[in-house]
Amino acid sequence: MADRHRPPAIKRLIGSEHFAGWAFVAPAVILIAIFFLIPIGWSLLISLQANNLIAPAHYVGLANYKALTKDPAFRSAIGHTLLYTVIFVPVSVGGALALAVALNRKIRGIRFYRLAVFVPLVTSTVATGLVFLWLLDPTFGFVNYLLHAVGLPQQQFLQDPNEALYCIVAMTVWGWLGFDVIVYLAALQGVPEELLEAAEIDGASKWSRFRSIVVPLLGPATLFLVVWSTINALQLFDEIYVTTRGGPLGSTTVIVYYLYQQAFQFFNGGYGSAIAYVLFLAILVVTLVQLWVGRRRVYYTS
Amino acid sequence: MVLDAPPEKRRRLPFSPWHLLLAPVAAIMIVPLIWMAVLSLETKTEASSFPPVFLPSGLHFSNYSSAWHAVPFGDFFLNSAAYSLATVAGNLLFCSLAAYAFARIRFFGRNVLFVVLLATLMVPFQVLLIPTFLIVKKLGMVDSVGGLIVPNLCTAFGIFMLRQFFRTLPIELEEAARLDGTSRLGILFKIVLPLSLPALATLAIIQFMWSWNDFLWPLIIINTDTHAPLQLGLSTLQGSHNTEWNLLMAGTVMSQIPMLAVFLLAQRWFIRSIAFTGIK
Amino acid sequence: MPRVCLEQVSKSFTGGTVAVDELSLEIADGEFMILVGSSGCGKTTALRMVAGLEKPTSGAIRIGERVVNDVSARDRDIAMVFQNYALYPHMTVARNLAYPLRQRRMPRREIDRRVREVAEMLSLEELLKRRPAQLSGGQRQRVAMGRALVREPEVFLLDEPLSNLDAKLRIQMRAELKRLHARLGITTIYVTHDQVEAMTLGDRLAVISDGKLQQLGDPQEVYDHPANVFVAGFIGSPPMNLLRGRAVDGRVAAGDFVIERPDLPDGELIVGIRPEALTPADGAGPSLDFDVAVVEPLGNELIVHGSVNADIASSPEAGEAALLTRGAARAEVVACLSPRERPAEGSTIRLGVDPAEVHLFDADTGLAIR
Repeated sequence: MADRHRPPAIKRLIGSEHFAGWAFVAPAVILIAIFFLIPIGWSLLISLQANNLIAPAHYVGLANYKALTKDPAFRSAIGHTLLYTVIFVPVSVGGALALAVALNRKIRGIRFYRLAVFVPLVTSTVATGLVFLWLLDPTFGFVNYLLHAVGLPQQQFLQDPNEALYCIVAMTVWGWLGFDVIVYLAALQGVPEELLEAAEIDGASKWSRFRSIVVPLLGPATLFLVVWSTINALQLFDEIYVTTRGGPLGSTTVIVYYLYQQAFQFFNGGYGSAIAYVLFLAILVVTLVQLWVGRRRVYYTS
Repeated sequence: MVLDAPPEKRRRLPFSPWHLLLAPVAAIMIVPLIWMAVLSLETKTEASSFPPVFLPSGLHFSNYSSAWHAVPFGDFFLNSAAYSLATVAGNLLFCSLAAYAFARIRFFGRNVLFVVLLATLMVPFQVLLIPTFLIVKKLGMVDSVGGLIVPNLCTAFGIFMLRQFFRTLPIELEEAARLDGTSRLGILFKIVLPLSLPALATLAIIQFMWSWNDFLWPLIIINTDTHAPLQLGLSTLQGSHNTEWNLLMAGTVMSQIPMLAVFLLAQRWFIRSIAFTGIK
Repeated sequence: MPRVCLEQVSKSFTGGTVAVDELSLEIADGEFMILVGSSGCGKTTALRMVAGLEKPTSGAIRIGERVVNDVSARDRDIAMVFQNYALYPHMTVARNLAYPLRQRRMPRREIDRRVREVAEMLSLEELLKRRPAQLSGGQRQRVAMGRALVREPEVFLLDEPLSNLDAKLRIQMRAELKRLHARLGITTIYVTHDQVEAMTLGDRLAVISDGKLQQLGDPQEVYDHPANVFVAGFIGSPPMNLLRGRAVDGRVAAGDFVIERPDLPDGELIVGIRPEALTPADGAGPSLDFDVAVVEPLGNELIVHGSVNADIASSPEAGEAALLTRGAARAEVVACLSPRERPAEGSTIRLGVDPAEVHLFDADTGLAIR
């Protein structure tokens, strides 16, 4: 097609979709490249170095990873993290489901109940930690007062190596429950009434209607919450920092806290990065496994 | 969906049995917050006596001014506000631009780029922590509010969320605007964004909540009290006054009030935003 | 006003679907051109290429003398009314109408003047402060028209603008559209799949199928002399009856039905008879026996479904392949009769046809035989 009126090449480039597209994404791509993409690679590089974050680093190969496999402190950090996750996820997700079902009905005071469940969500992790530090204080804490009032023995809570991690579970469930409940409530609104009516006509009892219709239809929400809570649980840090600093006797040193100690207290940047990559890998595996399970077990309504 | 059966003729309880579950749970959820407030009004002795004092001898509001002066609380507020508002603004702007291009413009490399951005969502922040610290150090922004803000100006989550929303808008509106003589940028700002207020509000709320409550990143890069945001400042207060529960709680209450106020005012929006992240 | 030219324009989408196939079409200055075809035939794609919303894969589009292939939609001075109106939901009617003018940085006073003028022309004065959500379908349609007209564009494009209206409003808007065009004389391209709009609105009609132009002409001309079997089956409602026929010794026969055509060589044919060409036989002329199955009284006429003793040549609407397959021994036929001639269901009547109203098509190519 011969045409004298074609604009010059530069002008056509600037007017083209490709140019417009890249111009639009450029700020975001630059920011994400600098603060996400480069750090991902760099972190891997650092994990292969002896790096104290100040002096020039030198390459040590897989030495950091090898050291990790022999580090009993790291092993117990993994153990604490897994124990925490294994309790936190079912308790918060299961509790949220029960609570969401209870909150999804029109009874008196429901607005207050909902508000009460949602409010801790906007409480910061630091504030949560501080309040629980007082509630669980062994000498003048509120919870020991309650135990005292009903004649049960006093506990050391966060100061007892055998109890501290469970206390952390309790305070994080308190802080996160509202999130899970909101997600479940939204999912419950999406359960079509006709399905329940059809099942009722088919003679299903209330409980079996819940178990055989509502729960499966909540599958996608459950899957999301399990993945989300697991990822969050593996990254637990703030509450530990504020309340126990990994103690007593290291009983609440979880992976991210150990990472923080190594990288920013002992300045073992390489070692810290290796820990971070192990965490990354764990999160990746958990996510993929759960998504794989989800594809086979979860029913989507569309 | 409501599971309630029609009212039964004979009831064992004068109220719905669900109250038996909800009332204690609500108490557990709300009591810590009420205690936080009560404690913040007690004297130092009352706050650390056993059994706990439920009704303080007077309303010792002076705890608040003591806490305010014990650490630079005013700076904490300003720093937190700057951190939150700047990251909200940055995300709204940069994510909108990128999300629009991903939703509507067919440009070379679009799909590959989008997948790469999505992949960054899988990476936990802790992996980025050390290199990001080094980058911010290179930029000369360690121990400054700018250093808090810059890495959080644009998130892949925001791009993804807005893109999904933009794609639900009828494309004819944008085509009509093109024929009416609107540029690409004009279409985004005059047509798409005004129609995307719910999604923008959701992104703003999520980002605000995240920045306001962020602790780990400030902990890493801030060393000077006057540069700390609230959550970090609160932990400084804890470090220096860890036996004065009344002061500590007064500080905690102050640090939570802005977020709580926003939540109570915009409860519906908060809930919608959170439900949205869950449903996607 | 400029003319619009499509010169061998093709558009294929990724995945290989060819939406428009070497389409050539010239719309004269001030002409009202209708593009008609079934859904997916490429008519909307053709329109969107004129608008600049799609880029042709090959060929050239001219507006006036200028080739506009590389000119963006916003610089083409074209206005378009979308099927779902595409009114900006967050703007009032007045803002919607003013929007294209503001985008062109027109002085405020001029904008106000034109908005008022258009609002008056389309009786929108009362609605200026409302938002699109507060308008009825017909009102929205008029606002969409107004937003397109306010610019006084060089070319006016309409993509099935009436298809979302109810029947009564559609009739009203048809008349209104005609009046507007007569008054403003803007070069207009109108896409529709509606028979009545196709017949009544335009100066000329372009029938499109499979991305190709099937016939171009005055609507009455297209109706009277369809160029091929597709057009014959597509234009006219109910559609033309198409029967398999055979020419032998100067006579064309389809079942019982026989007409004299001494000029034709022997061979397979398709015989087309419009339902409205069938009338009760008066003894003279060609005729055929018609078994009445169902009678649909419409008030002013009857639509009679029945069958005749012949092979059906199914309409190409049902696909090209079906065209040449042998149908059942009895062919389904539709006739439009006067209410005074109402036959009993189940009876057999004899229907006659004026030989001049019989259309003949080549069985292989589908082209009309004159």
